Amino acid sequence: MSIFIQILLNSLETGGVYALASLGIILIFRTSNTTNYAQGSISMFNAFIATYILMGTGLPAFAVAILAMLSAFLVGVLVDRIVISRAQKVNPVSKQIITLGLIMIFLGLAPMLFGTDPLQFPRFIYGAHTIMGANISYNAILNIIIGIVIMIFLFLMLQKSKWGLAVRATASNDIVARMMGIPTPLITMGSWAIAASLGTLAALMIAPTSSVNLSMMDGVQIIALLACVLGGFQTFYGPVVAAYIIGFASNFISFYISSVWSDSILYVLILITILFKPNGLFGKKIVKKV
Amino acid sequence: MRKRENKLIQVYKSKKPYSDYILFGILLITLPILVDMGWLKYSYLTTIASILIYSIVALGLNLLVGYSGLISLGTAGFMGLGTYLAAFLTKDLNLPFEISLTISVLVPMVIGILTGLVSLRIEGYYLAIATLAISEILRKIFVEFEVVTNGFSGKQASYPTLLGFLDLGRNGTFILIVVFLIGIMILTYNLINSYTGRALSTMRGSEAAAQAMGINIFKYRLLAFAIAVAYSALGGVLYMHFVKYTYPNAWTLTLSLNILAVIIIGGVRSIPGTVLGAFVVFGIPDLILKRLPLIGDIDGAAYIFNGVLIILTILFYPLGLIHIGKDLKKLRFKLRKRKESYSEQA
Repeated sequence: MSIFIQILLNSLETGGVYALASLGIILIFRTSNTTNYAQGSISMFNAFIATYILMGTGLPAFAVAILAMLSAFLVGVLVDRIVISRAQKVNPVSKQIITLGLIMIFLGLAPMLFGTDPLQFPRFIYGAHTIMGANISYNAILNIIIGIVIMIFLFLMLQKSKWGLAVRATASNDIVARMMGIPTPLITMGSWAIAASLGTLAALMIAPTSSVNLSMMDGVQIIALLACVLGGFQTFYGPVVAAYIIGFASNFISFYISSVWSDSILYVLILITILFKPNGLFGKKIVKKV
Repeated sequence: MRKRENKLIQVYKSKKPYSDYILFGILLITLPILVDMGWLKYSYLTTIASILIYSIVALGLNLLVGYSGLISLGTAGFMGLGTYLAAFLTKDLNLPFEISLTISVLVPMVIGILTGLVSLRIEGYYLAIATLAISEILRKIFVEFEVVTNGFSGKQASYPTLLGFLDLGRNGTFILIVVFLIGIMILTYNLINSYTGRALSTMRGSEAAAQAMGINIFKYRLLAFAIAVAYSALGGVLYMHFVKYTYPNAWTLTLSLNILAVIIIGGVRSIPGTVLGAFVVFGIPDLILKRLPLIGDIDGAAYIFNGVLIILTILFYPLGLIHIGKDLKKLRFKLRKRKESYSEQA
């Protein structure tokens, strides 16, 4: 029993990280109609910025995290203004390739500015607690809570606020949304900025366990993309739920089957699931009109 | 009166793209001779050989991206699988080069087809995500399956032996690569101009229209992807026998992205464009950027160069650099015409 609770708590934490990253990807997918492969690289870049702020100023970790999310916001705005907003008429394939080009730029910039050595980022708080035989650090509890609170906040905003309405309108049809007076370029820019901040938060959550390095977000990025596939690209909540499912499956497999091959088994399982549910667990069938 | 032409030139002109490819191949074959005469540095030859190998890989991806609008991010993984299979089959099992080549191309192709079967039924971007995952799994296998792959320390191979008795040295292997590249260029050209190629072209124009004309989109998407995987595995085999060394970290996402950069920068749906793109993407950083005083010392300058070039090409010159000659000619023609019209007015 205690092992099961341990796995559950661990998967809530990793699932939260995956969910934050995949929420960023789905937000961009719905508003600017492209899968953002560069999400992970942008987060990695900002995690480096965060570590540098931490080393330079000695501020507490959570303050640095907020500063890093702000810098990520700025990076997101810049990426949208400089590149994505100019690529509106470009066909979807080329748009995806643009985000792949962004990966190369961030992968090149990071070692240029911050060096190639992996850096350490501390936990937000230290200490651990035992719940029903399962050991959990306060930091993990904090991460779980932050993840869930941010997710609930964003979903409430998406459903209830004017901004959310604008995002949903842009997502469903951006030409009509523009005709209705919604500033779609601003909405798209906002999505890029928010997605970058969410990704950076996810990066800082895993940073204490993995160290801040160039490939820290590779695994998270792949799982976030697969979560979008598994949850379906048509809804906002699908990928988030799928991310938690994947987080649970990942911890379950690495405990009971093999910790070395857990990611590989997970990828294959997800691909097999897609074979049977091609539109994702929560997706609807897309009807194409000619 | 028409100028009388040499018979050789007549043949050259009547078989246009083929003769161009073969001429290019002959030019490349002279390079090892230049190296032996001491006119060209040996390191340049290695760089050019890897550029040619990456051209082969990129030609396959160009078929996939250019005609079926799909992106594969598993190029590096499949190429790596090719290298490991080639090394294992020739070094550990002592199989002849020809059999090893066949197996090393077929096995990745089967894995590719299985991936395609899963991911190609739905939207196009699913393939990119699926291949990304497969590529990571393959890399994990390269690291963990130590009995065969030797883990992080990597695996070695030697120059190939053709037909069991023809030991190829460094120059011989270079010529083999050139022969394969020219063969692949001709094969790809024929493929594009065959029934299959026309079906792919129709798909590119409009998937719905292609479907209405009775073209099975799934089948042709799968075919394009299988060809792309086969070319990358072939590239891997040639890489293994020329570089003679492979290790897991050579086959990361960045290589797949560089290959993608090759076709975007060089020219989508253009065979000479792909080769040009390979020279830009893999040649310029190696041959020029690294030798510049300030930029050369920076890690990652090559990535930034390629990344910026991809984005600029897509935004401002979507057809690729191969068309720059034609466009310059057009521009010059336009300018001359304008000048003439001015002088007439005056």
